Amino acid sequence: MIKSLNADLPFDQFTIEQISGDLLEDPTQDQIVATGFHRNTMLNEEGGIDPLEFRFYAMVDRVATTGAVWLGMTTGCAQCHTHKYDPITHTDYYQLLALLNNCEELELDVESDEERARKEKLKDEIAEMIPQLKEKYPAPEGDGPEEERRRIAFESRFTEWKTKTADSLNHWIVIRPSAMSSNLPFLELQDDGSVFASGDFTKRDVYNLDFDLPKLDRPITGIRIEAIPDERLPMKGPGRTFYEGRGGQFFLSEVVTKANGQVVAYNQESAHGKALSDGDGSSGLQPAGHEIGERIQYTIPFAEPVKSEGKLSIEMLFERHFVAALGRFRISVTTDESVKTPVPLEQAVEEILHRDSSTWSDADQSVVLNTFLLSCEELAEARKPIDQKKGAINSRTRTLIFQPRPEGNPRVTHRHHRGEFLSPREVVEPAIPELFLSMTEKPPRDRLEFARWLVCDDNPLVARVVVNRAWMAFFGRGLVVTPEDFGTQSEPPSHPELLDWLACELMTPTTAGMKPWSMKGLHRLIVTSATYKQESKVDEAGLAVDPLNEWLGRGPSYRLPAEVVRDEMLAASGLLSKKMYGPSVYPPQPESVVSDAYGGFKWRTSTGEDRYRRSLYTFSKRTAPFAAYTVFDAPTGENCTVKRGRSNTPLQALTLLNDEMYLEMARHVAAISVDDVSDDVIATRLFRRFLVRPPRPDEVDALVNYYTAQKARFDSGELAAAKLMNLEKADARVASWMLVARVIMNLDEAIVKP
Amino acid sequence: MSEFLHPLLARTRRQLFADCGLGLGKIALASLMSGGINALTSPTAQAFDGHGSDFHLPGGGKAKRVIYLFMAGAPSQLDLFDNKPELKKLEGKPLPPSALEGQRFAFIQPDAAVLGPRFEFAQHGQSGAEISSILPHLSKIADDISFVKTVHTDHFNHAPAQLFVNTGNGVPGRPSMGSWVTYGIGSEAEDLPGFVVLTSGANLSGGAAMWGSGMLPSSHQGVPFRNSGDPILHVSTPPGMDQRAQRESLDLIRSLNEQRLSRQGDPEIATRISAYEMAYRMQSRVPELMDTGGVTKETLDLYGAEPGNGKKAFANNCLMAKRLAERGVRFIQLYHANWDHHSNVEGGLRAQCGETDQAAAALIIDLKRSGMLEDTLVVWGGEFGRTPMVEASAVLNRSQGRDHHPHAYTVWMAGGGIKPGLTIGKTDELGMKPVEDPVHVHDLQATVLHCLGIDNSKLSFRSGGLNVRLTGVEEHHPVEKLLA
Repeated sequence: MIKSLNADLPFDQFTIEQISGDLLEDPTQDQIVATGFHRNTMLNEEGGIDPLEFRFYAMVDRVATTGAVWLGMTTGCAQCHTHKYDPITHTDYYQLLALLNNCEELELDVESDEERARKEKLKDEIAEMIPQLKEKYPAPEGDGPEEERRRIAFESRFTEWKTKTADSLNHWIVIRPSAMSSNLPFLELQDDGSVFASGDFTKRDVYNLDFDLPKLDRPITGIRIEAIPDERLPMKGPGRTFYEGRGGQFFLSEVVTKANGQVVAYNQESAHGKALSDGDGSSGLQPAGHEIGERIQYTIPFAEPVKSEGKLSIEMLFERHFVAALGRFRISVTTDESVKTPVPLEQAVEEILHRDSSTWSDADQSVVLNTFLLSCEELAEARKPIDQKKGAINSRTRTLIFQPRPEGNPRVTHRHHRGEFLSPREVVEPAIPELFLSMTEKPPRDRLEFARWLVCDDNPLVARVVVNRAWMAFFGRGLVVTPEDFGTQSEPPSHPELLDWLACELMTPTTAGMKPWSMKGLHRLIVTSATYKQESKVDEAGLAVDPLNEWLGRGPSYRLPAEVVRDEMLAASGLLSKKMYGPSVYPPQPESVVSDAYGGFKWRTSTGEDRYRRSLYTFSKRTAPFAAYTVFDAPTGENCTVKRGRSNTPLQALTLLNDEMYLEMARHVAAISVDDVSDDVIATRLFRRFLVRPPRPDEVDALVNYYTAQKARFDSGELAAAKLMNLEKADARVASWMLVARVIMNLDEAIVKP
Repeated sequence: MSEFLHPLLARTRRQLFADCGLGLGKIALASLMSGGINALTSPTAQAFDGHGSDFHLPGGGKAKRVIYLFMAGAPSQLDLFDNKPELKKLEGKPLPPSALEGQRFAFIQPDAAVLGPRFEFAQHGQSGAEISSILPHLSKIADDISFVKTVHTDHFNHAPAQLFVNTGNGVPGRPSMGSWVTYGIGSEAEDLPGFVVLTSGANLSGGAAMWGSGMLPSSHQGVPFRNSGDPILHVSTPPGMDQRAQRESLDLIRSLNEQRLSRQGDPEIATRISAYEMAYRMQSRVPELMDTGGVTKETLDLYGAEPGNGKKAFANNCLMAKRLAERGVRFIQLYHANWDHHSNVEGGLRAQCGETDQAAAALIIDLKRSGMLEDTLVVWGGEFGRTPMVEASAVLNRSQGRDHHPHAYTVWMAGGGIKPGLTIGKTDELGMKPVEDPVHVHDLQATVLHCLGIDNSKLSFRSGGLNVRLTGVEEHHPVEKLLA
């Protein structure tokens, strides 16, 4: 986002990527990441919720956000009924929702080129380290050279392992379902005979699979369920859990197998068979922590063999207080006499072990050897450096994204009576509200077409909304005072011709050097205007005639937004770090600010320059944002807010006066401003750092008098310079100037656009 | 100038400054008009709801302030207030399917067996209110309070349901009850926030959004009293300074700001001057508030409070609520978590009632004896109730618990505006659903507003095309039978 704003990515292109980057042809990683915009909806991850209910609320939020940001359109009331004032019907609303609704909401592992190269290098290093493990195998006590003792012990243990592992395997025959259905998830057959589940999930998902049994010589003695990892699943699966439980988890409660309509009983002495047939949804099978992202096999022996002919049906129940279905799995049968619990292996290794070792190629040999080296207990200690590198490879930067849904599983959108999740009515087709239809020859039918329509030449509304917001940022007041509402209930624009001219300039510029949809060009156009450059001073008459400066007879003057208050203080005090990009940072604030926030969150205060990065980089816990911003009207992040309040409160005064973050700035600016010059010069320096203009003589006098008075008190020991400066020992002069800096930082002028 | 300056107030302020020649003489008036320290240029609604209709009830309200004891996690109404002998008879058996039709549960399946009441019930006071033996202190003041046994809600999970009670909506981002109240009628506290939040127990599922200001000006959000460090952020003067240094700093700030006001002419500067003066007053007021040295031992014992002892946090907060009420704070919101008894509901209730019963009752007694119960509304309740069915789960290691139950639960109210000694509403013999006088959460909120003299259908704020109200877009009414 920061990169694209700095690169002045044209706003039309920016819009298309934010809303539908995933649908572009062959999208770049950045374009997919951009779809995270609409993933910023609130998500309830509490156990026991109905996940689809909160997805519905998220969609409502997406419609509201899209309406406010691009269309200047309030949609809130049309969620429940036809808009009372603006021409948006109840159906229009859900058609608009349908345009945005057809997406999978996934996480993406984001990798920079450097990161990718670094991980490749780690993999190579690991590949080199594995064979060397053999040399680290512990040599038993005894006679003869150590190397010899080691070799003999290793070979004997390796042979034993091969035998034991091979013995734990059955011959499994993969069976492919001939028909599949579920309560809601979309089941697709994969080339390897496995089933992939996508789409929407609930707390109680049921998969029904039908198989035509192959003709086999012997009866079937048991089934195997393989849980298979997949890049498309949360944490690579194999499960579909994405909240409350561990990502990638699943919980298989019950499996009912029927042969030609008859229930097949499981051997109750096998742990899996018992748990999956006890009729208790709260007992079942789930992966252990280390099994997330790995292949897992569950074998279920039948009580009695079943003849392999006709139909086999399998019903799988996944039931937890959160989504816990399998994301990818495969069913196999065996005719072996006894059904065993297999040693966990990769499938390729299993296939090699099934064959007689005399048929193994060199490559097979080394695969088997490596598997042993990476699993045998005796080498656990020796493997630690490898485990560390593996950890580094597995550490990922993840981000929330949209992906297109597979063909064949479009999400159906309904109109919801009174806006209630539980009251779906007729199905609606994706469409823009009818009032816009006359503006376009080719109405959009999907998310990408919708995004393109927003910024197409036929649509002048979006450009108006965008220039109005930019105008508001510079003047403190929009040409339309309700930037989120250009509807019939808003005040008409104060300067309609200006609004239209700016909108046209944005779309098809006539100003020399300005490119279409260039936000930087637009900003330049505004700040170089004669209107913007006026002085903000006002007299009584001016105030009486135009108190809110609607008619722009003077320059804008307003208290700076929360983040800018901090940024400009950081810059003026000389502490601002200009470091860009990277993870969010934690400037100092009392721990108590986040202690009541959801989830027992801890504030890990940054050290070094990260304390002083631009406020854009401050970590924001959505429902408990950084306190020093909230107090200056920064909104919490629950709803899209295109216009903030601007209050003037005692809590703001307390923040600027006493917040450690601001005290740190005052200390620093005093320390760098005090040297061997007159008091007048230092006072002027400090004044100009924060207020820019030169001080008037009486202002200098006032500051110096205050300085002198405080210094006398430090000198006499009434005030403690070291304590104030948070140092072991501090100079009374610097401490006194620090108090002067603090006074200047608390002047109205310091936080107001002059 | 503030965009968010209310039109009526803006005009008043403009006239004010015109009248006094931009002087400072009447600045204090501006802050009084706008509701104490919560808001200087974020004014209260005054007589305006976007359609120009007045939300003030004729005759005003009987309550001047609210103390809301929010029991987060959902206490079991079936073991505390709503005695159902039938459940004892059915214990261990599943409920008839007819009682369960169409219901969604958070954790259990509908065929779970019935769990009988865990405690004995007895009738108390002249009103004969039925109260569980685990609430001995509350039992003694039965005649001072009134029960609503049929509160029902739209949500069956903690976070949305807690948000629903506190903000009228299950998704974060709407103004909380306290924000609506200070937005509507301001505060009488000149040097304390008008809406204060006190917490005890575990983390709150609903989180800080429960006292957020939503689309209302952010200065109306609840100010949480921090359990560590400064109770209000940055209320202490920096280390190394003293009060005189702070005063001298403020004097200089004031004089430089006054000069700028006279040159620049922006009345917002005058407001800032006044904000700094209030900040200074707050700095001395808060230590006075927090200093409980003057509280008698008798009073401490009444609450079971021990200021500074974290184990007595709820009792300490009840005592603090009384002190805040005395100092004019409009809305005092206590949260006490740990009522979510999915397993061993009996043991859980013993522990929670042990922590809260005495102090909650003491608050009523203390308010009453100081004559403040008449105009202080006290509300006690959670976000939903608990099921008549048992919760037991092998994988979660749960037994003898109860799951979430949104269809009927009990809330008690007392004080300003409420008739004492009543029991409103009746549930069916299984405690599943109301059969008499159902009270929706929005009705409960309407009742709170009514007691304060506010018409819930008229106090609104225009946002996103909606006239947003605490009690939603549909019609909701105060519980008439409860009103004094």
